[in-house]
Amino acid sequence: MTQAMPRKRKLPLKERYALLTRDLDWQPSYVGKEQLYPYTSYEGIKVHDWDGWSDPFRLTVDAYYKYQAEKDKRLYAVLDSFAQSQGHLALSDASYLNAIKLFIQGVTPLEYAAHRHFAYLARYLEGPAPRFAALCQSVDELRHAQTQIHTISNYNKYYGGFHSWSKMHDRVWYLSVPKSLFDDAMSAGPFEFLISISFSFEYLLTNLLFVPFMSGASFNGDMPTMSFGFSAQSDESRHMTLGLEAIKFLLEQDEANVPIIQGWIDKWFWRAYRMSALVAGMMDYMLPKPVMSWKEAFELYFEDQMLGGLFPDLDFYGIKPPRHVGDAIAEKDHLSHQVYKILHNFSFAAAFTTSTPTEEHSRWLASQYPDTYQQLYQPVWDRHRRIEAAGGRVFFQGLPQLCQVCQIPMAFTETDDPARISFRRSDYRGETFHTCSNGCQWVFEREPEKYVQAWLPVHQIYQGHCGGPTVPDVLAWYGIQDGDNGEYQGSPDARSWADWHASNPSPAPER
Amino acid sequence: MPVKALYEYEFPSADRAELFGDDQLVYVHWDGNPLFCSAACFRVPQAMPFGEFVAQIVAPWAGSDPDFDPAAVRDWRLFDEPLAADDIRSLHDLGIGHKALLHFSA
Repeated sequence: MTQAMPRKRKLPLKERYALLTRDLDWQPSYVGKEQLYPYTSYEGIKVHDWDGWSDPFRLTVDAYYKYQAEKDKRLYAVLDSFAQSQGHLALSDASYLNAIKLFIQGVTPLEYAAHRHFAYLARYLEGPAPRFAALCQSVDELRHAQTQIHTISNYNKYYGGFHSWSKMHDRVWYLSVPKSLFDDAMSAGPFEFLISISFSFEYLLTNLLFVPFMSGASFNGDMPTMSFGFSAQSDESRHMTLGLEAIKFLLEQDEANVPIIQGWIDKWFWRAYRMSALVAGMMDYMLPKPVMSWKEAFELYFEDQMLGGLFPDLDFYGIKPPRHVGDAIAEKDHLSHQVYKILHNFSFAAAFTTSTPTEEHSRWLASQYPDTYQQLYQPVWDRHRRIEAAGGRVFFQGLPQLCQVCQIPMAFTETDDPARISFRRSDYRGETFHTCSNGCQWVFEREPEKYVQAWLPVHQIYQGHCGGPTVPDVLAWYGIQDGDNGEYQGSPDARSWADWHASNPSPAPER
Repeated sequence: MPVKALYEYEFPSADRAELFGDDQLVYVHWDGNPLFCSAACFRVPQAMPFGEFVAQIVAPWAGSDPDFDPAAVRDWRLFDEPLAADDIRSLHDLGIGHKALLHFSA
């Protein structure tokens, strides 16, 4: 009997990583490189050395799955205890969940879309290191979609608006804003996708798009969503690093890449920023216990960290701050008020509810927006309050004009005149197209042949593609059930909440 | 700058006039009324007389504002130009085409 040899010591991490990732790459022998990677040249980006891509994480597949499993285990433990202890009753208020409805309807499907497209990059990028980074991110995004669904499904049996988010994402008017943005990115080439999603979305604006939901959760007693946020945090910082690595790699490869990338930054900053308008409305109006105002978050996370920190670094490569960034700064005192106005006007056709801000909330808004709120927005809310005191509720009895690019109703005002809606008009092939801002008009006119195809929800309703001509027809086609929508006061959610918190509460009924 | 693509990139517009037959889309904005977040979009026959358009299409929408007074509607504009509103003439005859933007004050 031979004695088993003692096991060799494990390889050092760096060597192990090299063997398990880059070393598994091979050169094609019976097809050309162009056939194997058909999508990496037509965008005009030149890459001379794919090995110049450095991987800051040195993850291997086995280590990756081990870490992720640990994170999942911790998250699901929180979800179990939350469900068993009726944790939903400890929220700040049931109206808080409107933010989470917006999240699962608007953001979770984007995680899934990102999963799909990073899987495509994991196949079609030429270098083994970026392919592996894309693979990890693809699996991350799938995990995020799944864990978000599991986290938020805890609320589905007690509250409205959580039941048909996937169908809604494909159909409902306000969800066409995030959906069309991702469709735009996914139908672009692989390098533009990297700049749009990895850089503009995951790096430049992630603290304005994603983090506000998680901090909103922690302030408003939503343990599951907060735990999800923690569970995703280390992935997100990996995604941010990938975004930064991607842009620096491409800029270093060839000077001719610089103007192409500048164009994408100009486009995708504005596209992602416009979508973040929905988050602005959420932050300032939907959280019973607000975290910080949109304006403050914009100043801290965008003006200080990105314009003050990142762009001076990128200047070295010849990259300038995004075109139209001045317009975004100029409207920071207005954005959230104008967006919540849209949601308030149209929540009869949404899978969440809205409400005129209470006097207490109004005071908070006035303190956050000393230059604009009391002058411009409070008087309108006061009018709503008077109409409601007389038994009315103003909804917009019709359909809005939408921006051809961002697909948000055309509610934004001129940066130098907050009383005048900013209407921009372009003519292309004899047809008129309307955009909401200099940024969206510029995006349209740069690639009109792409944006003329936009599936604008309002025009689709008028073409008869959305279930029928009446509001109930369209709501049924959207998957919106009675009580998901409309005014929060007196809604089924508000009534259940009051009942559960009455002095002799009846046991929480399942919906 | 044309879209970068691996093939000839040529697609029809999703809202081209022909898809609406004898109808068209018209946008209406009530200038200076912040109760409404944006202009409204309507599908209407090109042959509809302007007076009927105002009474049957615009007024019910504008009536979401309890203070709306149909008699006070004035200063019609087509895009940025003043419009000589004429109740008898059709939208088409007044030069109000597909996806035109009208403004009024009240």
